[in-house]
Amino acid sequence: MKTKNLIMFTVILFLAMMLNVKSYADSDFDKAMLKAKKNLKEGMDKSDETKITKARGQFERILQLKKDVWLVNYYIALSDYGLSSNAMVKKNNDNVKKYTQSGIDMINKSIDENSEFADSYVLLQTLNFNRWQYEQDKMQEIIAATQSADESATKLDPNNPRLFLINGIASFFTPEAFGGGVKVAIPKLEKSLDAFKTRKEKKEIYPDWGYEMAMGYMAMSLMKRDDEGDMTKAKQYIDDAIKMNPNSEFLTEYVMKEYKDASK
Amino acid sequence: MKYFLILAIIILYALKSFSQGTDSTQSKTSTDSSESNAIINVISGFVKGDKEKVLKGANVVIKGTIDGATTDEKGYYEFETEEKGNVTLIFTLSDYKDKSVQIEIIPDKNMNIDVQLIKKEVSTDEILVTASSFTSGSNTAVTLTPLEIVRIPGADADLYRALTTFPGSNQVSEGSRITVRGGNPNEVLTILDQASLYNPFLFDETFNVSSYSTVNPWGLKGINFTSGGFSAKFGNVLSAVLDLKSYDMPQATGMFAWLGLANASLDGTYISKDRKYGGSFSLGKLFLEPYFAVNGKNSEYSPIPQSNQVGGTLAHKIGSTGNIKFYANYSDDKVGIYNAGPTYEGFFNSNSKNIFTNMKVMVAPSSSTLLNAGVSFSSYERGTGYGILNTKTTELYSKGRVDFTKNVTSKIDINTGIEYEYNGYKFDGTVPEFSYNLNLDAPAFEISSDESSGRAGVYIESQIKFSKKIFVIPGIRSDYQTLSENVSFDPRLSFGYMPARNNSIRGAVGIYHQNPKIDYFLRTPDNDLKPENAVHYILGYEYNNDNKLIFRVEGFYKDYSDLVLFNRRDLYYRSEGKGFAKGVDVFFKTKIANKFTGWISYSYLDSKRKQYEAQNLFPSSYDITNTMSLVGSYNLSDQIVFGATLKFSTGKPYTPVVSSVFNSKQGVYIPIYAETNSGRFPNYSRVDINAQYIFALFGRFAVAVVALNNLLNQNNIYDYTYNADYSKRSEIVTNNKRTIYMGLGLQF
Repeated sequence: MKTKNLIMFTVILFLAMMLNVKSYADSDFDKAMLKAKKNLKEGMDKSDETKITKARGQFERILQLKKDVWLVNYYIALSDYGLSSNAMVKKNNDNVKKYTQSGIDMINKSIDENSEFADSYVLLQTLNFNRWQYEQDKMQEIIAATQSADESATKLDPNNPRLFLINGIASFFTPEAFGGGVKVAIPKLEKSLDAFKTRKEKKEIYPDWGYEMAMGYMAMSLMKRDDEGDMTKAKQYIDDAIKMNPNSEFLTEYVMKEYKDASK
Repeated sequence: MKYFLILAIIILYALKSFSQGTDSTQSKTSTDSSESNAIINVISGFVKGDKEKVLKGANVVIKGTIDGATTDEKGYYEFETEEKGNVTLIFTLSDYKDKSVQIEIIPDKNMNIDVQLIKKEVSTDEILVTASSFTSGSNTAVTLTPLEIVRIPGADADLYRALTTFPGSNQVSEGSRITVRGGNPNEVLTILDQASLYNPFLFDETFNVSSYSTVNPWGLKGINFTSGGFSAKFGNVLSAVLDLKSYDMPQATGMFAWLGLANASLDGTYISKDRKYGGSFSLGKLFLEPYFAVNGKNSEYSPIPQSNQVGGTLAHKIGSTGNIKFYANYSDDKVGIYNAGPTYEGFFNSNSKNIFTNMKVMVAPSSSTLLNAGVSFSSYERGTGYGILNTKTTELYSKGRVDFTKNVTSKIDINTGIEYEYNGYKFDGTVPEFSYNLNLDAPAFEISSDESSGRAGVYIESQIKFSKKIFVIPGIRSDYQTLSENVSFDPRLSFGYMPARNNSIRGAVGIYHQNPKIDYFLRTPDNDLKPENAVHYILGYEYNNDNKLIFRVEGFYKDYSDLVLFNRRDLYYRSEGKGFAKGVDVFFKTKIANKFTGWISYSYLDSKRKQYEAQNLFPSSYDITNTMSLVGSYNLSDQIVFGATLKFSTGKPYTPVVSSVFNSKQGVYIPIYAETNSGRFPNYSRVDINAQYIFALFGRFAVAVVALNNLLNQNNIYDYTYNADYSKRSEIVTNNKRTIYMGLGLQF
């Protein structure tokens, strides 16, 4: 009887310790992820290459915890996308290529580890769009890669707001001659905004970017279309977006400047 | 009961802790000041690369933890940690090798750890690009892309014409047939997905009409043009190989229509939603009436040049890596062009029909093996008529081939294969007894012949990477021809060495054989003709900075033997000829951002042959001593591209007529020729420009092209003709005078 009691007690204690250790480890991981995610967002809002690089470093260190490696690799790829976009603005093609390729490698790693996460394919599609900057000659490959990523994302999460957002941005920047333009972009951005309104990510550490970006691009699309009432709608979107994220340089400097120029 | 109660309480406590995990104040992140009493140490230092170069953005972390930092602009890092004892610091940075450093953290003792990272060597497939190769594809040193092909002014979106802007190759009569390093046009072999493409041209060998190829560059995922020293995979070819690989499956669904001043085409591709089935079709027609209305005619035609083309593919994906593809193409052409010769004035009539089919299968039996098999068939009929000359030839080819690749280790690949090719040749018609007399009353033969031959070939080669800097490709092949019952052995060796990043030295040496054309066997006793033989020696240097800047210089020497030679004693063709070709090719290409692409190529060539009717070592028919091309393409904007091409070459050899003798029996003059190829045409030069404009039409992608060929209206010479007694010589200028071409393409 005593032996039996001792065994029971040991099992109960062990179980309690394991649960506690797990919760401790999970909280460690989640906290680190949220901190790095916050730093990444700040870096991308300010187009701050140093901050994005530091955030990328944080995610690389989180890999040491060997938990949800696919999600950590996703964020590393997202950091690379941020660095690549930064390089595009500075017209540094070598860095555009370097970070885009690194991002594609990382997101493919993430997909290998977890092929059921739609946002990974959205990011893969986005990174492949960047290849137009330096690999126009491989247009057939790029088209095939983006189409394939788009199909996978749609299949897994047909209401992913970032999927509509990326397609809307692509249409915004694609000349009408190539099947793009604001008339094509606006319906996609509208879908994105509708999806964002009701979206709730399963976990706080999952990606949730893009809402204010969708508003910013919608504003710019409306400004370009310039039908009656469009400028007023555009201003409303800009105000709502800045309210949501007052730190975003994309909104406060780029989109706002476009609005001021268009209003003249 | 008691234990269950305790168990429940403990589980509830644990669950509470778990759900509050994200709010836990217990942290191991270095940037947070911990409220615990643990001792915090600071670890800092500098991270540098080669030559003390500071490395910004390098990551450092204690293995198994998230304690670490990223270096700043000065390469400096600093972080806090509660870890103690023996730990491993891991340093990482993209493009650099990871570095691990073992340290012992002693409480209350801060540490300074400086490290140097070593750059990773770029390991790519470029190193396996062999000597004399110009390539296009995703895994090779790309020197020519489909986009560049369609943009080269003067190339008319033709792959072969585009290749002649690279060193070592020249156009035949400004058409798509090419000669390489002084060799004859039939010494260049085109392979499409393992099938031999013997007649991929329209208006081939037609008097003063430039030929065009039937190969669509947009359907190609890989182009490898080797002007010498090519792999043991390729047999029965003496000079050069153009190895083309088409896409296994169409990349997207869509159609593209083209309407130009001289032609129209419609292309379509389809791929199923699951990407397992795909197909394509292509229709094309040439009509020159609008073109002549705008540019005028430089010759008299009846009929004017016309051609039709239809083709398509069907493809099916087998499993995750395999593929089966069927390809078929039909083309025909017809033209009559007026010429005034010494013995006959009239229309040179030519027509041809070409059918080509190919089925190829690719499977990967394992992750380290690849099997390719293919069966192809082609039929080429050609009719020619001028004066008394009136002939029809039919050439049939069929080929079966299997290639197997095994990746033995990460450094060694083995390729091996076997093929059988059937070649049928039929000739019917009236041939003048004397080549100089084409009068309708001239003495002539009626000839009808039918001959065929088979060739079996087998090869094995290995690609060995001794290190990231050195590779060798030794190989050997053997071929047997049924007609002559000759066996040939061709050992070959290629090598590459990268002494430093972006720099490579490549060379090749090997034996190459090619069977003479069947019509020579018809004038040989007992089919006693050996395969023509060439030994290639090639050595070159290349600097390639990620395809943004390419500089290449290459020297070559080719030693020919057993060339077909007309024996004047017994009037048969025999394998008694010989020759050589030597020279230097120089190539320089640059890309500046996405704005400008341009290249310069130059070739020096000295080529002599004792072959066919040339009884001594005379300049070969395509011994063009100096050839230069300058090509430039400028993106004015995303929608407008301008291009210009300048081509220059010294004169091509020809055999002058020095006098004549009257033959009273025939009533014509017999020309007396100088030494074979002792004369040279004047220098050749030509400038072409074009512009492309991309825009939207009916909401679809559209492209408009305007091209001005032979901008300076140079009167380049095609040949000479003579009056009846050969006392006066007249120039036959090419029909490619200054012309304008316009076209519009629409995608839908």
